Amino acid sequence: MRHGKYPFIIGFLAVPVALYGTFVVAAYVQTFQLSFTSFRGFGAATYVGLDNFVRLWDDSQFWQALRNHAVLLIFLPLITIAIALVFAFLLNVGGGAKGGMQRGVWGSKFYRVVFFFPQLLALALVAVIFGRVYSPDGSGLINGLLNGGDDPILFLADQRWALWSILAVLIWQAVGFYVVLFSAGMGSVPQEIYEAAALDGATRVTLFFRVTIPLLWNTVQVAWVYLGIAAFDAFALVNIMTVDRGGPDGATMVLGMLIYRNIFDYSQYGYASAIGVVLFFLTLTFAALTLRVTRRDTVEM
Amino acid sequence: MAGKKGRKPSADEQGTVTVGRSGLGTVVANTFGVIFAVVMIFPVYWVLNTAFKPAPEVLQFEPSFFPEAPTFDNFISAFNAPYFVDDLINGMLVTVFAVFGALVVGFLAALAIARFSFYGRKALILIILAVQLVPLVALLIPLFLMMQKVQLTNSLIGVGIVYLVLILPYTVWTLRGFIAGIPRELDEAALVDGCNRWQTFWRIILPLTGPGLVATSIYGFIQAWNEFIIINTFNSPEKQNLMAWLLQNQTNRGTAWGPLMAGAIITSLPVVVFFLLIQRNIATGMTAGAVKG
Repeated sequence: MRHGKYPFIIGFLAVPVALYGTFVVAAYVQTFQLSFTSFRGFGAATYVGLDNFVRLWDDSQFWQALRNHAVLLIFLPLITIAIALVFAFLLNVGGGAKGGMQRGVWGSKFYRVVFFFPQLLALALVAVIFGRVYSPDGSGLINGLLNGGDDPILFLADQRWALWSILAVLIWQAVGFYVVLFSAGMGSVPQEIYEAAALDGATRVTLFFRVTIPLLWNTVQVAWVYLGIAAFDAFALVNIMTVDRGGPDGATMVLGMLIYRNIFDYSQYGYASAIGVVLFFLTLTFAALTLRVTRRDTVEM
Repeated sequence: MAGKKGRKPSADEQGTVTVGRSGLGTVVANTFGVIFAVVMIFPVYWVLNTAFKPAPEVLQFEPSFFPEAPTFDNFISAFNAPYFVDDLINGMLVTVFAVFGALVVGFLAALAIARFSFYGRKALILIILAVQLVPLVALLIPLFLMMQKVQLTNSLIGVGIVYLVLILPYTVWTLRGFIAGIPRELDEAALVDGCNRWQTFWRIILPLTGPGLVATSIYGFIQAWNEFIIINTFNSPEKQNLMAWLLQNQTNRGTAWGPLMAGAIITSLPVVVFFLLIQRNIATGMTAGAVKG
């Protein structure tokens, strides 16, 4: 397959590269350009140098958003991966063995579909559902169950709870995807390895920590990057669920929300672009760092 | 293995060695499974429950677990609401356009990346992956300005193109995994048998990537169908999709939970049906893209 390959390559890549060049690369270049201007959506964009970035440095909402991202960045991957690993393990291996084959718990096919379900639901529907779950009056699922609506917990309106409430929804939505992802990984672990471990007297817990996790490390790493990126986003959910879009008092503010509000509430296109530039570098730095830090020798199967 | 020594390896009647045969462990594992499944599914069940209840029953103080008098009224009033049907059709058009377009464009690109080595291949892969990482909202302004310039705002085509670009990276990356999984010997055998390069792609690789195409399309489908920020920014209400419709009505109507839930169910239905149809393929689809670096 040597001679005459370039016509194919060029033909195959022309359209995607053109689309990418126009709608992504050029769009980013424009975001970078706008971030040095005081553009407000009409007229010419005035060059203001680094003013937007200086202003950002002094913006308390920006720092609040960064703190919220930090919380999400730690807990979203940690909790989601932990839950997903345990359940993927239960679904694939946890049910004990029969005829020499490790099997999942009873009904594991059913669970797989159930866990994946939240992934399929429209975000608007998720917001509606959890609006009811968190509702402060007696009709709210949690408050209704807890105490019939007396002395309710104001999940979304209380600064102490708001971010955690959003985090719970993010986890609820994400877990299924990772259960399926890890299940696929576990499915490719040869039965002989489990058998050998069993011969050595391994319990479920030992199997989980000493066989499954090391063999799945690559997949866990990928999951970590995905979830970290989700933690940098979280904008859509914050936009439609939280009090005062990012409130109360900035408790759920994220960078995406800040960009959105600067565009639509204040018409500060230049400033919004500057936040976009920061977000761009933060996300890429995170991804590169995660891949580097979590790199370790993978176990060959 | 330096594990616990609490249990000795036990051999069952056939002489096979097993793990986790203790009754207690199995019960605990199954109980966990059930509890977690309930947590995952309960909110969904609750939406269904509300959607089939007549209006007065929805607001009852004592919530009931089944509608006393199930009704389709909520679905009917959702369908009669302004722009609902328009936005339903718009959403489908835009989604089908984006998913189909991304599959065609993405398949060719994946083919080039998986089957040829060429100058700049690594850089291309890096750019594709890197850009996928950054939240879309950062691109909202330039995309809008661009579409405005070519007069594609307030049009389904403009939004469709943006969605296509949005789901393209994942499509390329996942299909690349599938194509890389097809042994090159098959291509070579076909070439030896007298196929030209085109025929190899068309008759060998494309059919073998079939399940991959299906699995890949679900992700694009979910993305495009559920997107609302772009379409809400670019288009007026009669040219939006159901997601944008739902959000607008969520704020406008306040307490009309029944029709809203019904609308939300209709919105989620296509994705759920699509998923149930192809769910067998889905695990392979995801691992192909994610794991085989």
